[in-house]
Amino acid sequence: MSQRLKQGLLFSSLTFFVAAYLRAAENSPQTVSVKIETILASNQSGEFDSRLKALEKQLRVLKYRSYRLLNEESKNVPSQGSASFEIPGGRSLIVWPQDFRNQQVALKVRLQGGQKPLLDTTIRLPNKGNFILGGPPHDGGVLVLSISANVQ
Amino acid sequence: MELSDWELVQKCQSGEMSAFEDLVSRYYQKVYMVILGLLRNRDDAMEVAQETFFRAYRKIKSFQGGSSFYTWLYRIAVNIAIDTQRRQKRNPLDFRETMDEVLEEQNEVAKDPFSDRLVQAINDLTPEHKAVIVLRTLEGLSYKDIGEILGCSEGTVMSRLHYARKKLQSKLGGFL
Amino acid sequence: MKNCDSTRESLGAWLDGELDRAESEAVRAHLEGCAACKEEQRQLEKLQVALKSVLDSEASRIAFPPFWSSVQQRITEKSAWREDLVDWLRSVFSGPRIAWAIPAVILLLLGVLSGDSLVSGFRSFGQRNNFASVESIDAYGRNVALLREDETKTTVIWLYQNQEGEDESTTETRPSF
Repeated sequence: MSQRLKQGLLFSSLTFFVAAYLRAAENSPQTVSVKIETILASNQSGEFDSRLKALEKQLRVLKYRSYRLLNEESKNVPSQGSASFEIPGGRSLIVWPQDFRNQQVALKVRLQGGQKPLLDTTIRLPNKGNFILGGPPHDGGVLVLSISANVQ
Repeated sequence: MELSDWELVQKCQSGEMSAFEDLVSRYYQKVYMVILGLLRNRDDAMEVAQETFFRAYRKIKSFQGGSSFYTWLYRIAVNIAIDTQRRQKRNPLDFRETMDEVLEEQNEVAKDPFSDRLVQAINDLTPEHKAVIVLRTLEGLSYKDIGEILGCSEGTVMSRLHYARKKLQSKLGGFL
Repeated sequence: MKNCDSTRESLGAWLDGELDRAESEAVRAHLEGCAACKEEQRQLEKLQVALKSVLDSEASRIAFPPFWSSVQQRITEKSAWREDLVDWLRSVFSGPRIAWAIPAVILLLLGVLSGDSLVSGFRSFGQRNNFASVESIDAYGRNVALLREDETKTTVIWLYQNQEGEDESTTETRPSF
């Protein structure tokens, strides 16, 4: 093979691998930072926890009288990996990042009660956005989880 | 500044759906609980609760403000619940199973025998006795208002409440 | 002066504030000197607190958005105000006042149509900052509601508690919308 041809092949294969790497990097982010805010919604008082100010509009639609932040936890989840978060009442939330495309991150999420799965969902969120998962009863009210994802 | 029920009703009567939404959000849980007391089944109670607000919406123009809005609303709820009861025959055990599920979820981490017993004891009351307990406890309604809603005298309300509380006390024994 | 039996009969009503002044005073006076009836009062008060807690807890589980959505659906499906409109139109066009009735009808129709979109606006989505799409959902036989909050377009997934027993093979999922 001529020198020219070898160089050409090397260059184009390098370009190919770099492009493939970049595309893969966009589709499968290195890590996704997942944050779970565990909130207790009830009608037992009229207090709105000031730490939940950023979620106020989203929570008000649920029409409970009080909202209290019970716990906030963030974990860096490697792509193709998973992270588990403890939720009150013997429950847990497991998150598996799926892919990252057009500034949207896909997550598979499972809510478990002990070892029993309660809900599975695959959801595509805007980067740095969140969704709400609620309903499990707790302590005279209900649990409301805000699940957000940030691709780094 | 929160609007009064009557102010919201007047807004509904002039076509403001958002005012009706506010009224529903104020009373939907309480209406549901009263009906659950009469019907003993969650699905039916939910169905009747939604129907209650639908009928209230249809009839809102006819509400003149003579009685309070909530007694008018509860009366609609109780009438539909009684009609539903007449049309259906429910095995009391159905409700017990439903309440057992409730308890299982409520007491996932720590077993609370007191709440457990209390819920079963409420369960065992007849619909008439449970209705007075729920209306008095959840809403703090006067005997007069409860009587108006259930279509009975204040004296009947008083004796039903007395009987229901005595029954609950005897079932709870040493817990109180 | 009240005796124990008579006091205990009235104790519930006394705690509820339903006795007249004379009766109320008689109960209060008896309680001052009777430890047994005072104990009865304590038990009743404890029962009342426990009842409120259990009932409040049960009531607070019912989420508003799916409930309201179902009520709205009944309202739009059963088209109460459309029926009223038809009745009104019938009465108008059967009378001599057709001249001003036509612009009134046009205005009314516009009102009805925008009212329609207000009601269904709850279900319309736009591409906004927090819009998320749910690609799959499995609630293992439980009822689940999927909603979008209007302003920020945030997705809300609401999980209901299971009604039927665990060993039933099919669970009827009652639609909330």
